[in-house]
Amino acid sequence: MRELGITYEEVYDLLHQACTTISPDVLYLMRNAVEQESYPEAKVFLQTMIDNVAQATEKDKPVCQSPGYPTVWIRFGEAFDMDPLLSYLPKALTEATKAGLIRPSIVHPLTRHNPGDSTGEGVPNIELQHVSGQEYVEIIMSAKGCGAELGNVSKILTPATLGKNYSGLKRLVLDTVINAGGFPCPPSAIGIGLGGQMDVSAKLSREAISTRSWLDHNPDPLLDQLEQELLEDINQLGIGPAGIGGKTTTLAVKIAGAATHTAICPVTINFHCWVARRFGVRIYPDGKREMLFQVKE
Amino acid sequence: MAIYELTIPLQDTDIEQLNVGDAVYLTGTVCTARDMAHLNMRELVDNHHPLPENLQGGVIFHAGPVMVKDAQDHWQLRVIGPTTSIRMEPHAEFIGQQGIKLIIGKGGMAEGSLAAFKKHKQAYLQAAPGCAVVLAEGVSKVKAVHWLENGMPEAMWVMETERFGPFIVTMDCKGNSRYDTVKAHAKEKADAIMKEKS
Repeated sequence: MRELGITYEEVYDLLHQACTTISPDVLYLMRNAVEQESYPEAKVFLQTMIDNVAQATEKDKPVCQSPGYPTVWIRFGEAFDMDPLLSYLPKALTEATKAGLIRPSIVHPLTRHNPGDSTGEGVPNIELQHVSGQEYVEIIMSAKGCGAELGNVSKILTPATLGKNYSGLKRLVLDTVINAGGFPCPPSAIGIGLGGQMDVSAKLSREAISTRSWLDHNPDPLLDQLEQELLEDINQLGIGPAGIGGKTTTLAVKIAGAATHTAICPVTINFHCWVARRFGVRIYPDGKREMLFQVKE
Repeated sequence: MAIYELTIPLQDTDIEQLNVGDAVYLTGTVCTARDMAHLNMRELVDNHHPLPENLQGGVIFHAGPVMVKDAQDHWQLRVIGPTTSIRMEPHAEFIGQQGIKLIIGKGGMAEGSLAAFKKHKQAYLQAAPGCAVVLAEGVSKVKAVHWLENGMPEAMWVMETERFGPFIVTMDCKGNSRYDTVKAHAKEKADAIMKEKS
């Protein structure tokens, strides 16, 4: 088995950067949004959000007080030894918590006991994916705010409720966005998981919005069209930043699909707050690093 | 849109002048309280014990800060920002009875709170979500902490603030909620979009 060649310091540095700025693609979308927003209060909030990111980076502080729930996606093709990386991740999370970069917010689900250092069963959530033939290893760290989670919906549609021209799905998305209002820290983004069973659609919904660039296009033409259409429709609703009215409600819609059973169409709608704290890196066999989510200007 | 600079403790007259859409800056003592601190407060009041802070005319911030201890073992605020307020909706009437005049949070609250706001002269302020560094600029001192055993986010942090804000009034004491008007408009728009598609 080959060595991946990543050090603990490098892992900690990635996490540090993820806490003190937001993903470059999302910052690009926020800057566009403030230009296009016409509601005065919405414009003030959007500008405050952009200023807040700049101040966080400058002062080496976390962008948002809410650390969200930490998930790391690791996609690997060749047989690298993942064990060192897997042992660094919880350690980096605990160290960053002690350093005041991450608020200790991980608790036992029933007793609500907070160990105070972001440790706990299953934390961080690590999603290991083997991608056959992929020469590089891709690591994406993501902290998605949990206020956003309160608006999430899972529903099992049927062929009848999916409706003609997927109208049942579209209605469900619009209703979910309206019901969520300001909870998910809009301008939000939305991941939609389609297919599988409930658990599959739920995982796909989080993966879609957390691992794809918010500027990319879906390689599936049908899903790409649906993403564009839903984004346009949602932004006509006038919910706006913080849910107090405005043109900017959602920055991106990302859909991931899987085949399902003939009787059902599971759907999960997963909100992402605008504070998209994530950092991704690809490590090539020759040791070269490539940062993800960069914007080509 | 009027801009108000208010000093805590607040009077009924301070609240009566506020309308949805106004901006507010606060100076004085602000206490954080999330889910667990609300449960702690209720337990004390149910058992006829005094609360650890005088909340008459006071302000509750639905927030969990990031705090660090300095070399002298004093708590220092790093950043602070609003959490989702709707989780505290079951406590609307209780919070009204305690004399709290302003609630700061995000996403707004529901009918129970709107009724309590009318009855007890209170208002709700929306903080810019996810703007924890900007908001921390308005906190000058951490005065005390209660219920730290709940964990850092769920403890009640007592903070001295100076020109803390800006916050936007989104629910006033006259029965108005910006969230309700935004949602009603959005529902109409969604119906129109779906009609167009069928």
